[in-house]
Amino acid sequence: MTLMLGALTIGLILSLLAMGIFISFRVFEIADITVDGSITLGAALCAVLLVRGVNPALAMAASFLAGTVAGTITGVLQARFKINPLLSGILVMTALYSVNLHIMGRSNIPLLTAENVTTWADRWSQALLGVADVNVFGWMVAGRDLGILALVLGIVTMVGVALYGFLRTEVGTAMRAAGDNPQMIRALGVDVESYRILGLALSNGLVAWSGALLAQYQGFADAQMGIGMVVWGLASVIIGESLTGSRSLGLAIYGAIAGSVLFRLLVAMALRWGLNPNDLKIVTALFVFGALVLPTWVGTWRRNRTIAETAKP
Amino acid sequence: MLTIRDIHKTFNAGTVNEVRALQGVSLHVPEGGFVVVLGGNGSGKSTLQNAVAGSFFVDGGSIQIAGEDVTRWPEHRRARLIGRVFQNPFSGTAPTMSIAENFALATRRGRRRRIRWAISRSVRDELRERVRGLRMGLEDRLDSAIGSLSGGQRQALTLLMATWLKPALLLLDEHTAALDPKSAEQVIRLTGEIVGGLGLTTVMVTHSMQQAVNLGDRVVMMHKGRIAYSFSGAEKQRLRVDDLLGRFEELRRREMLDESTAALLRESYV
Ligand SMILES: Nc1ncnc2c1ncn2[C@@H]1O[C@H](COP(=O)(O)OP(=O)(O)O)[C@@H](O)[C@H]1O
Ligand SMILES: [Mg+2]
Repeated sequence: MTLMLGALTIGLILSLLAMGIFISFRVFEIADITVDGSITLGAALCAVLLVRGVNPALAMAASFLAGTVAGTITGVLQARFKINPLLSGILVMTALYSVNLHIMGRSNIPLLTAENVTTWADRWSQALLGVADVNVFGWMVAGRDLGILALVLGIVTMVGVALYGFLRTEVGTAMRAAGDNPQMIRALGVDVESYRILGLALSNGLVAWSGALLAQYQGFADAQMGIGMVVWGLASVIIGESLTGSRSLGLAIYGAIAGSVLFRLLVAMALRWGLNPNDLKIVTALFVFGALVLPTWVGTWRRNRTIAETAKP
Repeated sequence: MLTIRDIHKTFNAGTVNEVRALQGVSLHVPEGGFVVVLGGNGSGKSTLQNAVAGSFFVDGGSIQIAGEDVTRWPEHRRARLIGRVFQNPFSGTAPTMSIAENFALATRRGRRRRIRWAISRSVRDELRERVRGLRMGLEDRLDSAIGSLSGGQRQALTLLMATWLKPALLLLDEHTAALDPKSAEQVIRLTGEIVGGLGLTTVMVTHSMQQAVNLGDRVVMMHKGRIAYSFSGAEKQRLRVDDLLGRFEELRRREMLDESTAALLRESYV
């Protein structure tokens, strides 16, 4: 049960990453690999600030801002310097590796005693529940774990609702149109390039936030923690789409969250059943590959079958 | 009002693919004027519209709209003055977004976009009324994705979107060419109503000589990046499809003459 609770919490934390990827991948149709660097950036900056005793809320805000700066740089490389989107992401991700090491000063920062949001959650749950362990449907779980889960759930809900609301404002609809049909929205007076930069900034801000939360939950930030995260986020978004099967905006955002949680739970189970942790990345990559090509294959196969059947005498 | 002075545009200059798409075009459309542009494939009609809309900068010459020199303005800035409908019905609308959202975008054409709800109740009410006026039954489908509509419906909506805020200049680029005859007829009728009703300054490219004869107060015929013929005033009123066909034939003969002369020269000198 504790394992499931952990998977659920991490899944929710990474759903912020998934929402970020939703913006770059679904609104702008860019696979933005910057996130591999910006999730670490968020974690690293947050960890360093927390160790120095900075208020956790401030540290998180700083992480978000740092992420938006990273996204802005990727966006400027694409929009102003006309560098291919994939390459822009690779450049910024690579540069961020050095930046992150500089921020941390070494490759790993533990958060053993530093005050952070999980210590807050711990304190609140103690005050609220009054006991260390709680009985949930017959399982004993630590009140602390429940508190953290509630906190993360609160943050994710808030971000999800805010993102949904933003995408329905004048600025947000223009941003979606900039991804959907640049020619049209340019003719309606929108500077598509600026909106693309704004979208990537927002996306990477959310990703950095995800990293900041992850570092606090795991109790450390690590220079390697971002590797493969873009694929992870893509997998979450794709699973979410098959869950909700809808193009409606609200359901798509909900899907990204649910997809992230479901994917994490599946991974936790697979690990439990003996999947070698070293194989996790290749399994994720194969999964995304399958999710990208299967729909076309199935479509072709169906069509061929229908043709074959109508051709029968 | 639109004033174009001697604009030039060469694509892929200095390469084997060099195309001199505009070779000195000048055109003046007074306030409320309606110019129809005819011409063969590749004669530069779309390039002329794109130059005015700002899809690229011209190599030479100047463009004035409503008294402002927009020659060096980027496209999104000119959008404040220009409403546009493209040939491809897919070009003018954002397919995954709803009818209402597409119009919400159009209601802010060339204006500042803010952090506030894109679709307000008043916009929705006004939208329903105006869309009802199209008599296409779309007023009950404002929340459907616009990509699910037919080409004719999308062109009609795009036209309504382009003119929601009265533009100083309306650009129509063969906006009925991709439609079936019945939808084309419908969209042309709507075009006449809107342009006439609002007194819009309009430049319409068309492939249909019938449309050129019926609509507008001036017809220009383009050929090889230049304006070859222009009919206005009483001459335009008297214009028949046969007259236009005659001019086309003339251009074609002249071109063949050009080509045979070139061949002759090549044979003698190269
Ligand atoms: N963006 C472009 N790049 C290169 N060549 C172009 C471009 N746009 C138009 N052309 C060329 O310019 C010429 C005029 O094209 P266009 O204005 O589209 O003709 P039409 O009169 O059929 O609308 C054509 O030869 C076309 O191939
Ligand atoms: Mg054309």
